[in-house]
Amino acid sequence: MRGKIIFLAGLAAALGAGWAGFPYAIYTSRPQPVDFSHKVHADKAGAKCEDCHAFRDDGTFAGIPTLDKCAGCHAAAMGTTAAEENFIDQYVTPQREPPWASYARQPENVFFSHAAHVKLGNVKCESCHGALGASDKLPRYRQDRISGYSRLGMSMTDCIACHRQQARADSCLDCHK
Amino acid sequence: MTTTRRDIFKFAGGSALGALLTPAPWRLITDTALWSENWPGIPRPARGEIRAKFTHCSLCPAGCAVRARCVGEQPVSLAGVRGGLCPFGVTGHQLPYHPARLRQGPVSEAMAAVADAIAKCGPGERVAVLDLRPGRTASWTARRAMAVLKNGWYIAPVQSPVAVDLTKARTVLSLSAPLLERWGTPANVFAVRDGFRLIQADPVESRTAALADLWLPIRPGSEEALALGLAGQLTSAETAAMTGLSEHQIESVGQTIGFGRLSLVIDRAMSPAVVALNVKLGGWGRTIVPRAEAPVPPEWKKAAPVTDLATVPDRSIRVLLIDESAPGEYLPWDAIEKKLAAGNPLVVVFAWSANGYGRYAKYVLPTPVYPEATDDIPPAIDSPAPCFRIAAPLLAAPAGVVTPSEFIASLAGLPPADALRERARAIHQGGRGTLVTYADAKSVPVKEVKPDDFWKALNAGGCWVGQALPPANFRAPVGQALPPANPSQGLVVLATPPAPSPASPLFTKLYQESDLLLAPNCIALHPQDAARCGVSAGNRATLETPNGKWSVRILTDSSVRPGVVLAARPEMASASGKVVRV
Repeated sequence: MRGKIIFLAGLAAALGAGWAGFPYAIYTSRPQPVDFSHKVHADKAGAKCEDCHAFRDDGTFAGIPTLDKCAGCHAAAMGTTAAEENFIDQYVTPQREPPWASYARQPENVFFSHAAHVKLGNVKCESCHGALGASDKLPRYRQDRISGYSRLGMSMTDCIACHRQQARADSCLDCHK
Repeated sequence: MTTTRRDIFKFAGGSALGALLTPAPWRLITDTALWSENWPGIPRPARGEIRAKFTHCSLCPAGCAVRARCVGEQPVSLAGVRGGLCPFGVTGHQLPYHPARLRQGPVSEAMAAVADAIAKCGPGERVAVLDLRPGRTASWTARRAMAVLKNGWYIAPVQSPVAVDLTKARTVLSLSAPLLERWGTPANVFAVRDGFRLIQADPVESRTAALADLWLPIRPGSEEALALGLAGQLTSAETAAMTGLSEHQIESVGQTIGFGRLSLVIDRAMSPAVVALNVKLGGWGRTIVPRAEAPVPPEWKKAAPVTDLATVPDRSIRVLLIDESAPGEYLPWDAIEKKLAAGNPLVVVFAWSANGYGRYAKYVLPTPVYPEATDDIPPAIDSPAPCFRIAAPLLAAPAGVVTPSEFIASLAGLPPADALRERARAIHQGGRGTLVTYADAKSVPVKEVKPDDFWKALNAGGCWVGQALPPANFRAPVGQALPPANPSQGLVVLATPPAPSPASPLFTKLYQESDLLLAPNCIALHPQDAARCGVSAGNRATLETPNGKWSVRILTDSSVRPGVVLAARPEMASASGKVVRV
């Protein structure tokens, strides 16, 4: 009887550590450099996703906007909040690019075309990026200690699931060129 | 209550089972796989702005126009502008990463050694530059440098004085010239291929022979005999006996290429005999023209003349500088070696790999390689008009490399100058010809372009095309005697592509194909030839050619044409060879 209890104790300890402790221990966490609110920009400035996350002339996706884009409106402080003041002092005035951490960074061996998905496939931004565009606060960037990728990123499983649901090609070479 | 060892094992067993029921081990497997994707040494695709750059390929004298797709500053694919590129040209942007690429060399030490050797040159001893691709601006710099040195020589492979105009030809008779393979500019040749009938006289069914309208399987080494027969210096019967063709075939070809029928006869190097035949057929000023060169600044005309290696006295060169940076026609090392002075001559080779003449040199100095090198490409043999094309670099050269022309110029004390720009200025001042730019597909008279714009356009892959001289100004080599008929009585040694490097048997395709290729120590010949030479399959023998002797193993193959020896090593190739049983 005592042996069974010890065995079950080990089982319970491992289950607890694996389900409750491991998912937190595997990630490091850090805040984004700027306390950015998509919601404020969408509501008050009337900005749409593509106003900042634009396509280049050659059709490629520019990704996270550079400081030039931000400074177009924020050349001077546009409010009195601490976040605004920090952004102006730390980045706009010294002309330093904010070291944004990308939630959606993909491995080098993945070829993903925003143009094909957004322009040809009419896929909404939220389909992959969730409700990030309507959030009032950027979530903390949680990086896998081993793989180096974000917790919030799109995984291959997500891509395949969507492609199968939409009856699109899902062979290896469609994404891994 | 005491904890026993059994308790610890039971707890560990429970933990192990519990761990398997959590996401941890499975997640660790996935994470480890993703982590391994970022290990050092794993290639990463370039990121950056995608642009098209234009240049010219300098891998061979054809100098095809190239459109490079660049990501950031990195060329990621090459394509031809006017027609296609050869397989070498398409993959040329990988050359800087070749495992045999040289990146560092004893430049200062070599400079000091050369200066010392020049100072110690004895009477009658010479300093020479061997340039494998003459006619470049870098070649002019070397010639000017050798003119400054009182005992300087500029040596280069003999170049044909004529160019051909395939656009004017209605019939082309090729005497073993690989017209559809690497003779001339591939894109230009194929662009006009439908405009002429091609007769290929070739001992073997080469790729050109296979694609020709008519293949004449002549005896090895009898090309000149056929030329003499067609020129009327041999009778049809004599020509037939020497070439192995029938009299009817020879007469039929003679009628096809008769006088004034816009016929062109070519061989590998447009030899004097073939030029004379073309003149006799009325092709002078029509299908063949003098080979023109882009203008050079007047002060360059004092350069040293081009010397043929054969005319250089034996044992006369104390210091030899070999510019191998631009691949061209290689001269056998045996022929070079006997020109070197006895007693420790100094040989310096400029090359991107030590596998060429570098094997015989005291110093091998690394050079930029295409597409790092800035160089110009002289007009190809199928370019009737002069032209000036720059192989503009697509990549920055590594820090340790040296430009041969700069090294040689500094040795002779020439003032440092951008020779390419000086030549471009001279061309612009001439005011003739047109500037062709590939980015916008425009052709603009040079007179309408400003000097700076002209230079910028050339560096952006543009090409200056001059005007061919009118026929009245030609000085035709009429009366030049054809050499006496003397077809080789020995075996013609042809080099096949070398066997690939040893690969894993898992690469079954490569592995199987490698069995079809000759090993470097084997030669193949027809069973009749083998019997004539007294050898049979598997024997050890010596292959003797004017280039040297090699110990080889014999393979017999009835598909090899009689009179021909197939060898894997390019240096074995020769018009006359002999197989001697060991």
